[in-house]
Amino acid sequence: MSDAATPSHSPAAAARIVEFAKQPLVVALILVAALLYLGETLSPGFASGQQIMRLLIVAALLGIVAAGQNLVVLGGREGIDLSVGGVVSLSAIVAGNLMAGENAGIPLAIVACIATGALFGLFNGIGVTLLRIPPLVMTLGMLGVLQGLLVVIRQGIPSGRAAPGLADFVSQPFLFGVPGILWLWVVIGLLMAFLLGRTVFGHRIYAIGSNEQAAYMAGVPVKAARIALFVLSGVFAAIAGICLLGYSGSSFANVGEQYMLPSIIAVVFGGTPLSGGKGGYTGTMAGALLLVILQSILVTINIDESGRQMVFGITLLVLMLFYGRGRSMRA
Amino acid sequence: MIKLKLNGVSKAYGATKALSHADLEIEAGEVHVLLGSNGSGKSTLSKIVAGSVRPDAGEILLDGKPVTITGPQSARSHGIAIFYQELSLAAHRTVAENISLASLPSRAGIFVDGDALEERAQRYMALFDGVTGDGFSLDAVIEDLRADQRQLVEIIKALAIEASVIIFDEATSALDRAQVERFFEILRALKQKGRSIIFISHRMDEIFAIGDRATVIRDGQIVGTKRIADTSPSEIITMMVGGHDETDAKAVEHHAPTGAAALALSVKNLGGRGFGDVSFDVRKGEILGFGGLHGQGQSAVLKALFGAAPPTSGSVELDGKPLNPANPRAMIRQGVAYVSGDRAREGVVTGRPILENVMPIHYLRDRMILAHPPASARKALPALQALRTKFAGLGFPISSLSGGNQQKVVIARWLIDRPAVLLLDDPTKGIDLSAKADLFALIRKLAEEGMGIVLYASEDAELLDNADRILVFNGGAVRRELTGTARTRYNLYQAAYEAA
Repeated sequence: MSDAATPSHSPAAAARIVEFAKQPLVVALILVAALLYLGETLSPGFASGQQIMRLLIVAALLGIVAAGQNLVVLGGREGIDLSVGGVVSLSAIVAGNLMAGENAGIPLAIVACIATGALFGLFNGIGVTLLRIPPLVMTLGMLGVLQGLLVVIRQGIPSGRAAPGLADFVSQPFLFGVPGILWLWVVIGLLMAFLLGRTVFGHRIYAIGSNEQAAYMAGVPVKAARIALFVLSGVFAAIAGICLLGYSGSSFANVGEQYMLPSIIAVVFGGTPLSGGKGGYTGTMAGALLLVILQSILVTINIDESGRQMVFGITLLVLMLFYGRGRSMRA
Repeated sequence: MIKLKLNGVSKAYGATKALSHADLEIEAGEVHVLLGSNGSGKSTLSKIVAGSVRPDAGEILLDGKPVTITGPQSARSHGIAIFYQELSLAAHRTVAENISLASLPSRAGIFVDGDALEERAQRYMALFDGVTGDGFSLDAVIEDLRADQRQLVEIIKALAIEASVIIFDEATSALDRAQVERFFEILRALKQKGRSIIFISHRMDEIFAIGDRATVIRDGQIVGTKRIADTSPSEIITMMVGGHDETDAKAVEHHAPTGAAALALSVKNLGGRGFGDVSFDVRKGEILGFGGLHGQGQSAVLKALFGAAPPTSGSVELDGKPLNPANPRAMIRQGVAYVSGDRAREGVVTGRPILENVMPIHYLRDRMILAHPPASARKALPALQALRTKFAGLGFPISSLSGGNQQKVVIARWLIDRPAVLLLDDPTKGIDLSAKADLFALIRKLAEEGMGIVLYASEDAELLDNADRILVFNGGAVRRELTGTARTRYNLYQAAYEAA
């Protein structure tokens, strides 16, 4: 056995291109272009500048939810957060009621929503680590709690309205003709890259996700880190909820439900296997964009909501075939 | 009459010959003892007979007829049963069900026959009447039982197969005196019925109490077979050692510091899962060795001191200050380091870059928040170079390295901020010779710089060559301390097989 890890000989250019093209991020971007082309063919105007901007806004909403999902999945041990949709809905309602159409209410709404998201994330994290409830069960149960809570909250209380400032932030040009939410998404992307690549916490997430026992023996506070991941997931879902309120103008129950499955698909498509420990957020951003375009094409060719859900479900299963089997899922 | 015969049976794992050309004859109606040090091949041999390992070459004859044992089920159909050391019980099921797990009595081949199940379990449990202790009954659930009671269930389970050849591999390790006596009575009764017993134990007194003949295995080869009545413990140990290396310990040059050196670590009456009442001191500059056969509590003590499996009793002092080993994180902060031999599970963070595998301890001890790769690299490189680690770049995944270099990366973690005490838990398992040499050179250097080091090595030569003092473990307790010129292979084996 050779002691040194010798770098492999530089492959032929063609092989290198194939290797490059196999990366999940590249696959996703190629598919984005292909889907845009397909959409344009099916319905001229699909890939117009204005339309692409709208797709990007919708993708940003999904992408922000998927950021939290991505962190939880990276942390391994079958980490998954099924409650994100419920937190998005709750956050949209809390924000709508607190700002009630006034710009003055925005700061309080933001603080309250983020605190709410963090709180539910904390519950999830505690359930998963200290009470040892599997993430799938814990967050599914939490989703149920949130859905019930939404029904209770809405009884007798008028549905809130977005402040004009928030609505403008989401849909109107903010800087260089680009809406604020897209800038927010870019900032979140940069923060995620920094967190995962340049902080001790980021390295610990990968360590826990790839070998929890070894991480524990190297002094990583495994439980605290995992709780933090769920809290962050709740916070990102809450931020997405506020933005969603701005996008739709008023909050209605279960507005966030549509995000659960796509947020997971975006993560997996972006190259983070459900077993955790590898991957990152850049791919997830591409995955979110891809899904939104796919959804838009499905709308264009008149496939209704139930049909779209089926397509998404099948997409996730097909993705699992390609990316999910890198490592068998073990407790 | 010869019941079981092995002719030239060999088994290799990669380049390691676990067993080469083993010839063995087991008579009907005898208790045949297998002896050998760690990794001598006695487990491989019993696994081959029990069908869980397929031999590369050789033949197995049962009643004079060659047989092919394809798996545990096939072994059972040939009338061969094995007692598994642990973990072959279904923890949530009852004693009665576990006893018959291999062949549940059924009605019409589908429904479990509860009455037959109980009747059968009752019959075998009666064998141990009066020595089983409280709470041991047909419908007791395994996870509620004590360790010795679980072991009795394992024994009963092996007996219930009514095999003509039964292998007992360390079947008495958790039993008390009365239980062992009863077990031996049962074995004697089985002998009367003409059954053959293959018996592996690490207690010399038991071997001489129950054995008819003993076969010694060394380095995968059968050294010889003796009638127990015609031999002595010292002759058997001499066979295990092999005549030539009686004084092979480099023991003579004694590095250890004098009694004046300060204590690095002081452990008093430490108890926990798998060990009890362990006391010892480690001086600064000393390498203290843990010896004995596998699994006698050496790893458990080291893991307890590191807080990975906290001790339940006793006290620990580091540099004269009391220490509470609550978890690894707290211990690392206090200056305790631990290197596991189980690299894949407890050492490397698979799939991550080499740099990320070196840095976690430094991040923790320096309470760092940001990871700046160039700054980290400046810390990591000298640590890796101290061990002469060969790698192409810090950004390469750790899985691109050989086993030896992976282990060097894991050890390099502890060299950035020097710990006061270094616990080495069989650190050279599965690594190449040159890496071992680099490793031990570094350990000696660290000791000379004043670190207190505890080294558990399952390879006796490593222990004899590198430890200044050796504590020999048996049954979760320290049985003997070997110092100076007493550090010989003979003494090591003798202590390892000493009565508990």
